[in-house]
Amino acid sequence: MFHWLEKNPFLFSVGVFIVIAFAGLIEILPNFAEAARPVVGLKPYTVLELAGKEVYKKDNCIACHSQLIRPFKAETDRYGQYSLSGEYAYDRPFLWGSKRTGPDLHRVGNYRTTDWHENHMWDPTSVVPGSIMPAYKHMFTNKADIETAYAEAVTVKTVFNTPYGDDIKPGREAWEAYKPKVIEEAKKIAADMKNQDVKDAVNRGEVPEIVALIAYLNRLK
Amino acid sequence: MQSNAALEYDYSVAKLFTITAILFGFVGMLIGTLIAAQLAFPELNYLLGEYGTFSRLRPLHTNVVIYGFTVSGVFATFYYLAQRVLKVSMAESKFIMFIGKLQFVLYMILAVSMVVTLLLGITANKEYAQMEWPLDLLTVVVWVLWGVAMFGLIGMRREKALYISMWYFIACFLGVAMLYLFNNMEVPTALVAGVGSMMHSVSMYAGTNDALVQWWWGHNAVAFVFTVPIIAMIYYFLPKESGQAVYSYKLSLLSFWGLMFVYLWAGSHHLLWSTVPDWMQTMGSVFSVVLILPSWGSAINMLLTMKGEWNQLTENPLIKFMVLASTFYMLSTLEGPIQAIKSVNAIAHFTDWIPGHVHDGVLGWVAFMIMAGIMHMAPRMYKRELYSKKLVEAQFWLQTTAVVLYFTSMWIAGITQGMMWRAVDEYGNLMYSFIDTVTVLHPYYAIRALSGVLYLTGFLMFAYNIYKTATAGRKLENEPQFRTPMA
Amino acid sequence: MDIRELQGYASFFMTIFLVVMLYGYIIYLYRSEKKGEKDYEKLGNIAIDDEIDSTPVNTSDSVSSEKKEQNK
Ligand code: HEC
Repeated sequence: MFHWLEKNPFLFSVGVFIVIAFAGLIEILPNFAEAARPVVGLKPYTVLELAGKEVYKKDNCIACHSQLIRPFKAETDRYGQYSLSGEYAYDRPFLWGSKRTGPDLHRVGNYRTTDWHENHMWDPTSVVPGSIMPAYKHMFTNKADIETAYAEAVTVKTVFNTPYGDDIKPGREAWEAYKPKVIEEAKKIAADMKNQDVKDAVNRGEVPEIVALIAYLNRLK
Repeated sequence: MQSNAALEYDYSVAKLFTITAILFGFVGMLIGTLIAAQLAFPELNYLLGEYGTFSRLRPLHTNVVIYGFTVSGVFATFYYLAQRVLKVSMAESKFIMFIGKLQFVLYMILAVSMVVTLLLGITANKEYAQMEWPLDLLTVVVWVLWGVAMFGLIGMRREKALYISMWYFIACFLGVAMLYLFNNMEVPTALVAGVGSMMHSVSMYAGTNDALVQWWWGHNAVAFVFTVPIIAMIYYFLPKESGQAVYSYKLSLLSFWGLMFVYLWAGSHHLLWSTVPDWMQTMGSVFSVVLILPSWGSAINMLLTMKGEWNQLTENPLIKFMVLASTFYMLSTLEGPIQAIKSVNAIAHFTDWIPGHVHDGVLGWVAFMIMAGIMHMAPRMYKRELYSKKLVEAQFWLQTTAVVLYFTSMWIAGITQGMMWRAVDEYGNLMYSFIDTVTVLHPYYAIRALSGVLYLTGFLMFAYNIYKTATAGRKLENEPQFRTPMA
Repeated sequence: MDIRELQGYASFFMTIFLVVMLYGYIIYLYRSEKKGEKDYEKLGNIAIDDEIDSTPVNTSDSVSSEKKEQNK
């Protein structure tokens, strides 16, 4: 009965494939439609926030920080309301993380402010003695790639119907027209910061990574 | 015996991948040791400016040890042992030889681009799938070439029955192909928007779905990269080195199907207490526990293969490596399911117990097996005796100590941290601020860094030993049949 | 029938099916060995006797016990 399986490498491979593919099909596919639904009132990330998310990804904060509050009292006491599936509807990729060397950040926007982050990212130990988080001074000089962030907004709007306004559309002209809005948003963040170089850069129409990152962190609520 | 004595196995591709395995093994473990030390001594974050922080280096460490070291090891042993168990030589087909070499060249290009892009922070940021889309495409090409070589060799085989190792290699090929494709579905943004960087993409899946697909991949990458091909290795190298056929071939066949069936279900144990549906979490938990059966089936089969021959354990250091490897395999396949029990997971998840668990698998099982395999292959590939038995012995003890230090320190660290996060005083208030739970770990992080240094030293001894074998080992007249000769 | 239900049935029956197959395979293994059609344990020798010019352990399906090489 199983003779063919042992004799024919091709049929064998088909057999292996069916056995291993089956779990995935049953387990993952049916859940898709449901879990993708956003919670009521969830807004897509602004372009500046997306740029900040890119900084978060680039410097791989996920290596030490989770964004997933589990439904235990100890966690909700520490970080706030436990996480809901629909809150992640616009997270591509998801950034739950798998390691908490540092605290969870899913609702960090509720209890930390722009100036706190500014000091902390410049030198964590100056804010929290004993911290082992690296200082990210280079974020104060490196420029965030807001153009690519815009491209991401256009992509998720076009391909996945993420509800952005009509001013987000493909092409260089559309981007040039949109750019001032991003700078405006950045200026609001920079206004609460004290680093003069950062303020100057924003006034010149550039967005240092730290500004975008803080916009993103403030949005995590 | 037939009379085509002129024909020999051709190890040129196996040799190439052996070299990359050693090279990437060294680089990956060096970075690993550095980032371990950074957690104990944060000043070490600033050695390389922006490129030297823990967070930038951590994916580099994982990717280099997985896709550099382990995957090279898999290819090297494949190109060595597939010929032998199929009884065909690569030299018999120019085409397959060409495919093998092409695969190597593209693989090198891929590996180098991976290192560069990750250092620059160009990443898709899904764990163990960080490479951006152009590299993903190249990965597919490399993988397909491997498949062509594999099925090409199978098509030419003289040995009609496929040895169990080949079953596992085929499963590795298919499993990784399927999972990789699904998990890395992404849309390049520059192509849609016409502006922005070419090296950026967004995942096809969002939020919880992305998490499901990602851990379906993440977990099964462990299955199909760290388990399946490594079992393929031990099923060949242990019998060959000891001269003892597998204890029960039937058990090996059954464990194979058991593993294939059960492993894929267990992925959601990475997402316990998260926002994925409850029944899926439960499924992940239950199947993780069932998974002990096929895993132990293979491991016990290996240990029993040595039945009546345990004296070899004291005489032959390579046997030591392999027996310890299967023991660590048993340890980590027991530990994993324990962590997948929901109540244990509530404490263990997000803590250092998880890296602890990973490393008794990868240091104790994967790397031990790959190094043992290379030490077995080197004398046969270079036709020289292994350069120094003393070095192998010393390496063995050094690295075993390192693994033990690693997982014991991380067990303690993880459980301490997990308990402190949830500790409350008599009024129900949290007892510790987060930073308390960080500083308390310092001694354990320091021990882990030390264990990294020990393991790395052992690896350097190994690399030196292989280098010396290839260049200065005593020449061998005949290929050794079983036990690897060493000076 | 909504998708959840379908999912439940599919997973249930597929699991049963695969378990039956697995047990069927065990029975098949032992039975074919008992009947003398196959000798699985012999296949273990593929790893041990793997010179390019050694006789393949398994060229055809049936056990040809007289040809069986002793190589331990
Ligand atoms: C080596 C691990 C590590 C990395 C990498 C890391 N952090 Fe941290 N982070 C910590 C630790 C430990 C703490 C707790 C001590 C402190 O507040 O400094 C922390 C705290 C924080 C806090 C304060 C949270 C709170 O609730 O008080 C924020 C915000 C933060 N990190 C953001 C980041 C960002 C953004 C990145 C990426 C650029 C990052 N971290 C990378 C370890 C890390």
